Amino acid sequence: MKKTDVLITGLGVISAAGTGISATLDSFRQRERNAGPVSIFKTALICPVFEVKQIPDEFIMEKNRTLSLALYAVDAALKDAALGNLAGLRVGVCIGTTVASQINDLDFYKSYRSSGEAPMEVADRYLKSNVAEFIARKFKARGPVLTVVNACSSGTDAIGAAFSWLKNGLCDIAIAGGADELNLVPLCGFSSLGIVNQGLCTPFDQDRKGLNLGEGAGILVMETEDSAKKRGASSEICVLGYGASADAYHLTAPRPDGAGLETSIYKALSEAGIKPSEISFVNAHGTGTIDNDLVEGKVLGRIFGNDIKMLSTKGFTGHALGAAGGLEAAFTAAGLREGWIPASIGFKNKDEEIPVMPVMEETKINGGLALSTSLAFGGNNAALLLGRL
Amino acid sequence: MNVLGIGILFSGGRGISSFKNALKAGWQRPEEYDIPSINKKTPAYIVKPEHMADNVLLKKMRRADRFSKMAVPAASDAIRDSGLDITKNRIGIILSTAFGAHQTTFDFLDDIIDYGEVGVSPTTFSNSVHNAAASYIASALDITGPTLTVTRFFFSFQSALQLAQTWINDNRCDYVLVGAVDVCGEVMRYIFDKKLGTSADGKIRPFNFNHPSPPVPGEGSVFYLVSGKSSEKAYCSIADINFSSDFKYKEMPDIDIIDSYGMADGKAYLKSLFPSVPVAAYSPLFGSIMTGSAFNLTAGALMIKKQMQYANPVSDNPDGLNLLNVCGPAKIDLIRSIGCNCLDENVIIYLRKAGIQYHI
Repeated sequence: MKKTDVLITGLGVISAAGTGISATLDSFRQRERNAGPVSIFKTALICPVFEVKQIPDEFIMEKNRTLSLALYAVDAALKDAALGNLAGLRVGVCIGTTVASQINDLDFYKSYRSSGEAPMEVADRYLKSNVAEFIARKFKARGPVLTVVNACSSGTDAIGAAFSWLKNGLCDIAIAGGADELNLVPLCGFSSLGIVNQGLCTPFDQDRKGLNLGEGAGILVMETEDSAKKRGASSEICVLGYGASADAYHLTAPRPDGAGLETSIYKALSEAGIKPSEISFVNAHGTGTIDNDLVEGKVLGRIFGNDIKMLSTKGFTGHALGAAGGLEAAFTAAGLREGWIPASIGFKNKDEEIPVMPVMEETKINGGLALSTSLAFGGNNAALLLGRL
Repeated sequence: MNVLGIGILFSGGRGISSFKNALKAGWQRPEEYDIPSINKKTPAYIVKPEHMADNVLLKKMRRADRFSKMAVPAASDAIRDSGLDITKNRIGIILSTAFGAHQTTFDFLDDIIDYGEVGVSPTTFSNSVHNAAASYIASALDITGPTLTVTRFFFSFQSALQLAQTWINDNRCDYVLVGAVDVCGEVMRYIFDKKLGTSADGKIRPFNFNHPSPPVPGEGSVFYLVSGKSSEKAYCSIADINFSSDFKYKEMPDIDIIDSYGMADGKAYLKSLFPSVPVAAYSPLFGSIMTGSAFNLTAGALMIKKQMQYANPVSDNPDGLNLLNVCGPAKIDLIRSIGCNCLDENVIIYLRKAGIQYHI
């Protein structure tokens, strides 16, 4: 095991797979797929989505679902880290999102168009809803604050940014991850791109037909070893490396040769001095779209060999966009901590063009290093290397 | 971290020379633009189409929206301005924005309203995603380093600079294109006008702290090429980026630049200033933009590089501050940039002449 200074001392998750890490792991074990038609807003589009069925009342922010999800996950992560009052601590907040960063209120805009009288409380609410700023103010975190809006890799990149803050001494503790709500705009947008599955998604399967949208929040409490030691906390899970790169290829399609993703993975590995052969498993982006899974699968095979244990958890959560990287980093950390990963639900038949094959059953993990990957709109690629000490 | 090159696009033109000319020329009345839904014209600092026209760069991005078309030329100009031939896989991109491509999002909502949920344009949707512009920059300039888009309203650009410094320290890249991009579409001008009013004479009065005068919305893009490396053409070093409510001077600067722009209660700035240090605010040249610190810092970088001070474009001064009111050559080694919001959250950035060491 390589040395790291950055521990993961707390995990907080909420998604269609469960509220809290324990409920989520149960859900993984039971192979539950809690998808259904859209119920949280009106839409003419008929396709399964992975909604969070219940956000605990005390975290609900009226008309701001992303913040509600983020609040729950941050609170859960802080509790997991045994961090109550943050006063006197140098705590940074870095959270990825997509929907919460946009002024996309349809009723507001309809009013503006039809009468020139749009309700200003929508603008006021938006101005108070920068996710990282909101969380920092709410929890009185006094370190660096940043909301990452890097599309589907936002959560992973937010954790990567927080990792850099910690390594550079800008803070001692970081609350980092992603949060996003299911929303009409991306639902229409992804549908228009022809990549939404009318059935349940089947990542890496030869018959995959696209993604299902989801929502949620996944938050890590990251902390320098010194900080944890000072307050009597400990953790055997750590962040070892982060790599990111741009495809410089296309706005919506991944680079066919996967060079950008490959670079990201090697950067994450080299930051920690880890060889590909040391990796126990990969929690892949695995959206269930034709292009993503083909490119990602080829890259994983090329780097880690065809027998690498890998999975996509999007069969349990749907694609939670800006939250995906945060959720999947938390699931990866949980996999290392628990010593097992769930079945890559939805996968049935191997695609002969994809050299790797996801695990089909709950699988025991030997070794203590794992990777979580994200690919995004705009050709962003990001990889996080986590370890168990 | 050194500022090696700057690209800028604002209502006064494209390129650092245009901005320098605007600083010399002082305040110019902005044009008025329609807000059709309320049948009203309001002044705004809007980038003119001819300043965005670039046949070479835009050839690769014909389907891009205005936000991206504003971002790419400034990013390209920052590299060109540095005069460096840089390995593109060692450049990172951090694009900061307060509001992103909001006008494109409204265009997408138009699609939903006019054509229904199944009749929307995938191109409009793709362009409405916050990180589309950074993607266009990467493609247009063939940059394959880490590429990130971030937002934090008033502190977006300063936070991006702070992250860029860590990327360089961590050897994630040798150079980072750090930028701020914001557009001001029709709906944004409506929101400005409805919430805050718009200055009738088109003048932002950045020193009216106790009774803020109305803003004048603006837009534009600024990119810096920053690096731990230096060059003869470097503008300045960014010595310190400090988010805190502590305004104590660690070193006495030659000039203070404040990010005041008439949008919020500016009393926090009063606490931050020291009588003997002349203060400037250049928002009347580019508009009330939440990411305006990028433009103000550009003025600071130019002043250090050229050893030239630029007078305040608007010098209404109800509190009797020591305003920088003279244009001309000056010895400038250290500039302090101050940003404050109405929640008493502040940021201080020190720019210093490249090669001069201060204990900050």
